[in-house]
Amino acid sequence: MPPISSTPPSQVRRRDLEALLRDLGTRLTRGGAEAPAAPCFPTGLAEIDRALGGGFPRGRVSEVVGPACCGRTSLALALLARVTAQGELAVVVDPPDVFDAASAASAGVDLERVLWVRPPGLGEALRSVEHVLQAGGFPLVLLDLAAEGAAAPRIPASAWPRLRKATAAAAAAFVLLGRHRLAGTFADLALELDAAAPRFESGPDWLAGLDGRVRLVRSRAGPAHADVAVRWRTGRHAA
Amino acid sequence: MSVPPAAPPSRIACVLVPALPLVAELRAHPEWAGRPLAIAAGPGPRAEIVAVSPEATRAGVRTLTSVVHARSTCAALVVRVLSPALDQAARGALLDAALSTSPRAEHAPQGSGAHAAEAAVFADARGVAALFRSEAGFAGALAERAQRLGLPARVAVASSRSVARVAARQLAYDASQRPGAGDVRVITPGGEAAFLAPLPLDLLCPDDAQAEALSRLGLRRVADLLRLPERALATRLGPGIRPLLALARGEDRAPPPPVPSDLRLEEATDLEAPLERLEPLGFVLRGLLDRLAERLACRGLAFGDLELALRLEGGGRDARRVGLAAPTLDLRVALRLALLALEAAPPTAAVESVAVASVGRAVRGDQLDFFRPAGPAPAVLARTLAELAALVGPARVGAPAVADDHHPGAYRVEPFRAPGPGSPAGPAHTAGLLAVRALRPPLPARVRVAGGRPAWLASALANGRIERAAGPWRTSGRWWSPEERFAFDHYDVATGDGCVVRLRLDLLHQRWEIDGVYD
Repeated sequence: MPPISSTPPSQVRRRDLEALLRDLGTRLTRGGAEAPAAPCFPTGLAEIDRALGGGFPRGRVSEVVGPACCGRTSLALALLARVTAQGELAVVVDPPDVFDAASAASAGVDLERVLWVRPPGLGEALRSVEHVLQAGGFPLVLLDLAAEGAAAPRIPASAWPRLRKATAAAAAAFVLLGRHRLAGTFADLALELDAAAPRFESGPDWLAGLDGRVRLVRSRAGPAHADVAVRWRTGRHAA
Repeated sequence: MSVPPAAPPSRIACVLVPALPLVAELRAHPEWAGRPLAIAAGPGPRAEIVAVSPEATRAGVRTLTSVVHARSTCAALVVRVLSPALDQAARGALLDAALSTSPRAEHAPQGSGAHAAEAAVFADARGVAALFRSEAGFAGALAERAQRLGLPARVAVASSRSVARVAARQLAYDASQRPGAGDVRVITPGGEAAFLAPLPLDLLCPDDAQAEALSRLGLRRVADLLRLPERALATRLGPGIRPLLALARGEDRAPPPPVPSDLRLEEATDLEAPLERLEPLGFVLRGLLDRLAERLACRGLAFGDLELALRLEGGGRDARRVGLAAPTLDLRVALRLALLALEAAPPTAAVESVAVASVGRAVRGDQLDFFRPAGPAPAVLARTLAELAALVGPARVGAPAVADDHHPGAYRVEPFRAPGPGSPAGPAHTAGLLAVRALRPPLPARVRVAGGRPAWLASALANGRIERAAGPWRTSGRWWSPEERFAFDHYDVATGDGCVVRLRLDLLHQRWEIDGVYD
């Protein structure tokens, strides 16, 4: 006959449960608790980073869209500059061939840490992105599909699950620049930029910058209700 | 006074392929293995057969007969014309196999008479027992490397070149008589005389006159020759007998020279019929690159830039160089790059022969750092760069760089070399700077000028009344070159449709263009 335990059954269950929780460690979270925030890359623009909950998340697909002259490229270069300043490598997949090395260098991008790929078409661009994600070691991948004066690119629906899976596996931040949103529900984060107003200074006239707005329209990590005013400056000074 | 250490006793390995033309052909066309195959010295029915496969031998085909006679003996016989290109590549591969196990190796002199078709390489075998457990282990590894390169070889190790070569020849003879006989042999130091004594003199390759004279004297075996006084032999047969005697005594003990610094490896083939289309040429290139990759891997190297040399119908030649972003052994990538180069500029005539060469390069190593993030593994990065280059073109992959040039559209693309984790950080980060998107080529625009300044703009990008304009800023340069000189007046303009662009007037051609968009 087995020995009779003097411990009440409820205490035994609790003790077993606590032991199980200890064994599982961080793999288990309590119901209702907030999921741990994904590591992310800040842009260095405090208000935008605050709205994004720290920056562009790694292992996720993000979109930055808006009309021409809205500040998409400036935001992308700010992100690129921060990432390369940390010693990380980044890839710019640039089918329209619009990346301006001088402009990027002015923004603080370490060009030696940027792999610039200029595919001749959309198919090659998507395959290039898959290649670099599969290779690993490039924690930021920028795909520029905001070609000026061109029709909106038609990305096959089957491409998105593949890209999303590869992005998660590589733990990379995959950021898509475009005129309109393309990734739909496959995007974890989406920013829409409004047309920016130019800011000229007088005496003699010179372009001082653009005043734009950035709206967070989709975020899986939290509420998507941010609207931030941004002042982009040219870096020139009055004569 | 210090005494220099005594040199270690000479040990030399001979790697021997008995019928090189046949092996070279089978190496290029493995699908013919197991079929009766003969190699003819030239084209035409009267050409002489110089090598036959065991299957052809069993069917009654013999060397030194004509092609017509061989075909009448065996109807299923495949006859190929001797290809110097394949032959040379196979010899190179044999040397690679030797150099993969020994630091010193060289080609053996060409055999004569019955051994004219053989190819042999000598490798320094001193001290190898420490690496391969024994000399037999070294010989086995050497045979295995040669086999991996498509060269079934016999390997013998002895104290002199001649003894090693004779032992290898004997192994080849045994294998032809008894399939399954061993392919390595080690003659222990001091055992050379006993090994050579009973062997026929023909194995030392005497020339025809010497062979006849020795036969007339009734000398059949090596021991018979060594029993006679050297001076008397030289008096009767001339001074040419001395080298033969040296071979018989195993006196050629000089080790092979160190590895040559030239790491350029080449594979080539002559085509049966000229190829006009690129698709079949792709299959030929694949075979060549495959064999080249095996040789490079054997030496612990990877593909550097590829050199393609095509001989064209009508006597023309087509030579081109295919750049690789980084050393790689990925056959798919090398083939894709080679085909891209051919597609970009196809040969002007049908192709008669193809040669691919590459200077072997070591795959880059990398040093990791505790405190900075690690990039992609060097081998993975090399493969990725090569794949991207194959996908989009080598000129369209790299690291962007600011050109040291006054031209507003100037930029450079450098080969991408991921900086090591410990390399210094780049420029200081400046958040909030307005970026420019460069338009390449510049977008043509129509501009109405009022009061000497642009007032209205029409283009594929920005249209309407120009609300504000700043400028002009004049840029000019390269005045010394009529083709390259430039002079622009640049304006930053904001149009009524909300665009802010960099507009320029080309002063030399008097045309307006948009070369950048502020975004």
